[in-house]
Amino acid sequence: MFHDLTVDNFLQLTIAGVVNGSAYALVGAGFGLILGVTGRFHFAFTFTYTIAAYIAAEVGVSWGMPFWAAVIFGALVAMVFGVVFERLIYRPLAAQAGPYALLVIFVASLGLAIIGRNVIGLIWINSASQQISGFSNLGYNYGPVTVTKLNFITVITSWVLIVALTAILSYTGLGRVVRAVRANPEMSLVVGVDPRTVYLAVFGVGSLLGGVAAVFDATQTAAVPDMGFNPLFYAFVVAFLAGLGSSPLVMGLVGLGLGLVESWAALFMSNQWTSLVVFGILFVYVALRPLQASSFARRLRLAPA
Amino acid sequence: MELQVSYVNEILIFVIFAVSLNLLLGNTGQVSVAHAAFGAVGGYALAYLFLHHGTQLWLGTLIGIIAAGLVGFIVGLPALRLTTEWLILLTLAAQTIIITLATTSSSFGGTYGLQNVSGFEIFGKKLQQPSDFLPLFIVFAAVVVLIVYRMAESPYGRVLRGIREDDVACRSLGKNIYTFKLTVFGVTAAMAGLAGTMLVEQNQLASPSLFGFDQSTAIVAMVILGGTGNIVGAILGATVLTLLTPFFENVLNFSADRASLWRLIAYGIVLVVVMLVRPQGLLPEGVSLWSLPRRMFGRRKRTTEAGLPSPDEVSRGALASTGDLGLEADAHALTELRHRGALPTTGAVEGKVGDVVLSVVNLNKRFGGITAADDLTMQLRRGTITALVGPNGAGKTTVFNLLTGAIRPDAGEITLNGRDITGLHPNQVTRLGMARSFQDVRTFPRLTAADNVMLAVQDQPGEHISNLFLRPRRTRAGERETRDTALQWLSFVGMERFADYPAGALAFGQQKLVALARILATNAEVVLLDEPASGIDQQWVDVMLGLIEELRTQRRTVCIVEHNLHVVGRLADHTYFMELGRITAQGTFEELTGERRLAEAYFGTA
Repeated sequence: MFHDLTVDNFLQLTIAGVVNGSAYALVGAGFGLILGVTGRFHFAFTFTYTIAAYIAAEVGVSWGMPFWAAVIFGALVAMVFGVVFERLIYRPLAAQAGPYALLVIFVASLGLAIIGRNVIGLIWINSASQQISGFSNLGYNYGPVTVTKLNFITVITSWVLIVALTAILSYTGLGRVVRAVRANPEMSLVVGVDPRTVYLAVFGVGSLLGGVAAVFDATQTAAVPDMGFNPLFYAFVVAFLAGLGSSPLVMGLVGLGLGLVESWAALFMSNQWTSLVVFGILFVYVALRPLQASSFARRLRLAPA
Repeated sequence: MELQVSYVNEILIFVIFAVSLNLLLGNTGQVSVAHAAFGAVGGYALAYLFLHHGTQLWLGTLIGIIAAGLVGFIVGLPALRLTTEWLILLTLAAQTIIITLATTSSSFGGTYGLQNVSGFEIFGKKLQQPSDFLPLFIVFAAVVVLIVYRMAESPYGRVLRGIREDDVACRSLGKNIYTFKLTVFGVTAAMAGLAGTMLVEQNQLASPSLFGFDQSTAIVAMVILGGTGNIVGAILGATVLTLLTPFFENVLNFSADRASLWRLIAYGIVLVVVMLVRPQGLLPEGVSLWSLPRRMFGRRKRTTEAGLPSPDEVSRGALASTGDLGLEADAHALTELRHRGALPTTGAVEGKVGDVVLSVVNLNKRFGGITAADDLTMQLRRGTITALVGPNGAGKTTVFNLLTGAIRPDAGEITLNGRDITGLHPNQVTRLGMARSFQDVRTFPRLTAADNVMLAVQDQPGEHISNLFLRPRRTRAGERETRDTALQWLSFVGMERFADYPAGALAFGQQKLVALARILATNAEVVLLDEPASGIDQQWVDVMLGLIEELRTQRRTVCIVEHNLHVVGRLADHTYFMELGRITAQGTFEELTGERRLAEAYFGTA
């Protein structure tokens, strides 16, 4: 039943779990912010994620941009797309569809995701996968386990961003505005906050965080057209398990847990099956949801209201 | 020639995918992005059995259909109580799990799938060319289209639309919505399974990419483009989108790679543009293909012959058009009511006036720390009107929820005509003779007023799938009776002139009357009315109160929750006063208003 249960193996898997989990945490915090505040079923997050990686690869190679500049540039492009989608597609749809907005936006967003994925396929048709250049990944050995420089960067950057976002939301006036809109968009309008502006900001920040994670993801392997699908799925799991109104930190911790569970699952089954674990978790969670309502989510919600 | 035939085959396959998803998504309102995965179950079953056991076409197809139906049933099981966003997630997970299983499991050939699935025979003839499959595919597609058509355009389909519009209201009319949902999930998945086997035959292989998420999205795009809830629309959508590939490859001369990318981009554009420009699709619900050119190029103003807005106009913005009919219509209904003599006798109830019909003993319900019902004991008597009054938050609506089974009580007993109904589901309670209205009316906006009321008629033969196909005559006769009954009730509330109006186009007061007709059509002996007179103009209040008094004359047992004390004073034979989940006083209205404490706290010292 146990595949390769050794202490060394366990440690290495744990490290992999923490690294992947941190990336899920970052994506989950970004996507969860969008979903939690706007309630938009933003499927095209797959596209803003993927385009960040491709742009970073492109500017790194063609323009010779240094690694960190490429990361920032890629993430900024993701941010622009997120804002544009909200402004040009979702906002008019929401205004027009009224009570059917959820479904209408989901369908349109699905469309955007497909368009984006295949336009990327067309643009980079001759070289499906793009490497991110300008980054020399070093490995550090600590006894039986190996940790790479990219691993460190991923974990540290993810948590710095998540904590910063949590702090902004919790302790600044800007954060208060966002929380107010999340709680009640109509009422916030009454007190002089335009929820539409907040939505734009939230789409920008959420896409930006996703973009950063995407560039790290592509640095590890390569940018491919379908790379956005699994992260979006994980982000869904994170956002829904943590509860839609919860703080980025809670979402981050759930993401970390998800990464560890997925990684440790490799102890019990061969590697190719582990991704099924997350989908399985989601399926079971959603399936059981009507039974226990959302009490599980509520208990996890440590966040400020 | 064979190439063209293969396009036709492809169209037939996707027609099956699209019309079956349309039954689920368009008619029943259950979003599924796992339709291709159900196809995979069927297709892989056929391919695996053929390659490993030499199972021939008929048996393989049958097993494929059954397997897909079972998987659909299993996915549908947790889907029963889910709202849209959770259902999307659930089916997304199901799609991914099924395809990942196929991809990672070595017995299904991994990424490359099961190849060389060719050499089927039927009636001793080898099937090799697309044209060999064509007759078979035509038959399959025709059968599926007929089945879907029959299910959608029938009393059965009316229930499905009711579930789509408002499943809570639909349940309160005595429909076991879970059975309906589950059946539709299973049946449509089985149809997808059939399409999956055909796709495998057509391509001579079963691979993950044949049934991937892209494919599921493509099927959604077909339904959305064609028009949700319209079977011809789904066929149209499937045809147009399937023909995109040959269009890109042959007309625009794209390479196969490029064509497949462009095809998907086109699907995406279809989804976005349709949502922005024409969310109801090319052919909206209830619109026939032949009228389409006239509708698109004719005059902009779209009304039915009687000058009423058409159903799809309402579906565009159900809420925006509420009340568009305006005062003239109101006045008409009112005069009609005042001039009418005879009332239908169908609702008259046997039994002695004054007997206890519904008895509630020591009912308790707590939500966390809040006590919503605290040792409630009350009785409703035949042919009388009982009022439940009390300040906001006293738990009056909760009492209705408890009585009808929408909420399960922690303790206590509810008996209806001597029968214990504690813990029964809302649909069962309605069928046993107690129906309720809702504060926020909850009519089905995109169904006509007549359909709204017809949904409430109990024991329609056409609500059973078996009758639809085995006893068409009985189904038809039953449908006529149902319509007659519904029209009778609509005329009882003075709304028969609006029978073919979509309920969402009616003014709020009119919707309340339709909702009343709807409850009465359930033939329930006990009628629970939640604020029947609130939110409507004074003229409508008079109409409504007159009708409720009429119910009393019919010996129905009526219970109202009401804030308007004039209403209570006029109607109530007996009044219960509720505070914080407790009944703190009861008696006639005069007795209660005479009590000093209540007068000060609630009725206002006048």
